[in-house]
Amino acid sequence: MVGDQFNHTMRFNVRTEEEVNEARLVLKNVYTALQEKGYNPINQLVGYLLSGDPAFITSHNNARSIIRRLERDELLEELLRVYLEKELQGDR
Amino acid sequence: MERLVIKGKQRLKGATRVNGAKNAAVAVIPASLLTSSQVKIENIPHITDIEWLIEILKALGAKVSRLGKGGLLVDSSGVNSFTPPHELADKFRASYYLMGALLGRCGQVEIPMPGGCNLGPRPIDQHIKGFTALGANVNLEHGLVKIKASKLKGAHIYLDVVSVGATINIMLAAARAEGKTVIENAAKEPEIVDVANFLNAMGARVVGTGTDIIKIRGVPSLGGVEHSVIPDRIEAGTFMIAAAATQGEVLIEDVIPKHLDPVIAKLKEVGVPLEIGPDWIKVLAGNSCSPADVKTFPYPGFPTDLQAPMMVLLTQAPGTSIVSENVFEGRFRHVAELKKMGARIKLEGRAAIIEGGRELISAPLKAADLRGGAALVIAGMISRGETIVEGIEHIDRGYEHLEERFNRLGAKIARKKVTESVFPG
Repeated sequence: MVGDQFNHTMRFNVRTEEEVNEARLVLKNVYTALQEKGYNPINQLVGYLLSGDPAFITSHNNARSIIRRLERDELLEELLRVYLEKELQGDR
Repeated sequence: MERLVIKGKQRLKGATRVNGAKNAAVAVIPASLLTSSQVKIENIPHITDIEWLIEILKALGAKVSRLGKGGLLVDSSGVNSFTPPHELADKFRASYYLMGALLGRCGQVEIPMPGGCNLGPRPIDQHIKGFTALGANVNLEHGLVKIKASKLKGAHIYLDVVSVGATINIMLAAARAEGKTVIENAAKEPEIVDVANFLNAMGARVVGTGTDIIKIRGVPSLGGVEHSVIPDRIEAGTFMIAAAATQGEVLIEDVIPKHLDPVIAKLKEVGVPLEIGPDWIKVLAGNSCSPADVKTFPYPGFPTDLQAPMMVLLTQAPGTSIVSENVFEGRFRHVAELKKMGARIKLEGRAAIIEGGRELISAPLKAADLRGGAALVIAGMISRGETIVEGIEHIDRGYEHLEERFNRLGAKIARKKVTESVFPG
């Protein structure tokens, strides 16, 4: 039997999920490109997140354009969310 | 000597690619002295400053070879001198990056006071302050800078003025120093980020570039690396302004648009239609532009290197524009030349007041510095008649085949060898 809640208008937060997936994809692609070119991906991403300068990101495999698909705060949010969720899970 | 002969009233149309940044390349190449391993650097422009730098590295004992498509291979294992040839080092300002690099590599360096464009006083006191803080002794004798350190030790350095050169030089010297160095009030230019990328890829530990606090943890040695220099934002900006001034339509590729934010904003303000992509900028054909006030500042402000080209554009904007030069006080030597073409420009201290909207008429012109020279070429392209520009050795120092690239976009510029100047004396 279908629950009563399905008779009411519902709000689906689809955009956020897309953004989350996009953030993961962006970070993964950029990480791989930096690694392939011999840079330390963590150092370079920290530099980019702190300063906003795309010069931290290699142009290899279009990574410099890919990183600009999302704002820095969106990338930071994803990084913090994943890290904290994992850490908090570990505490339980 | 050579001169450019420019046929006026030509609209630029087409696409051009931007070369590697001169201001990053001139620091990355000396930085390769910090390792004995082989380094490969891509996207190095073919300009005179780089050729001089390569000659210097060879004279110091390094093996340097040009690869195709702007590549450069440097093997510094054989470096056996800390004294760059004076006659070469004297020619361009960026030779001062050899101070930090050789100090880091050899513990000492002897080099002439830097030369380069005459843009007013450009002291190196902040460089000296940095080297001294790291434990070096610095002496100025007979026009030579002599720096020596038995051991470089990390230090906390506050720069009294924001200086790209001092920030990079301190980074170079501190990369292999003992302990941690902090540079406060550091410059934030993208070229500094690029040098740090290069150093970090070699194994250095530099963080915070692109912000005003940079931290460097010294490491005992650095290794080999492959690195590609970032695109030249000043060259990109020069092409953008040239396209706008000629009311042309030009696609500029291989750029980092973020680095051109202040230029994009100002061009939009004066009414130049632009399209921006992830790594390209397209200047669309527009009508005459509006006047504006332009103030130069360190990055991320409007770049002083594009002040002169922007002034040429503003001579075509009906109304009053004011250009304030806040970085180099002597950077108005192009104004006298533009006035020869009929531009109405009045200088008041660090400001130029431009009554725009008047057609420029061709005249014999003399470039006195690199960016001012590029501005005169743009002025020649929009003027009525045939303009001669002398002093083009300044332009060749920073732009790779500038006239050929403008010609591919529809300009009509000829480089001619001449025995006599059109100017007396």
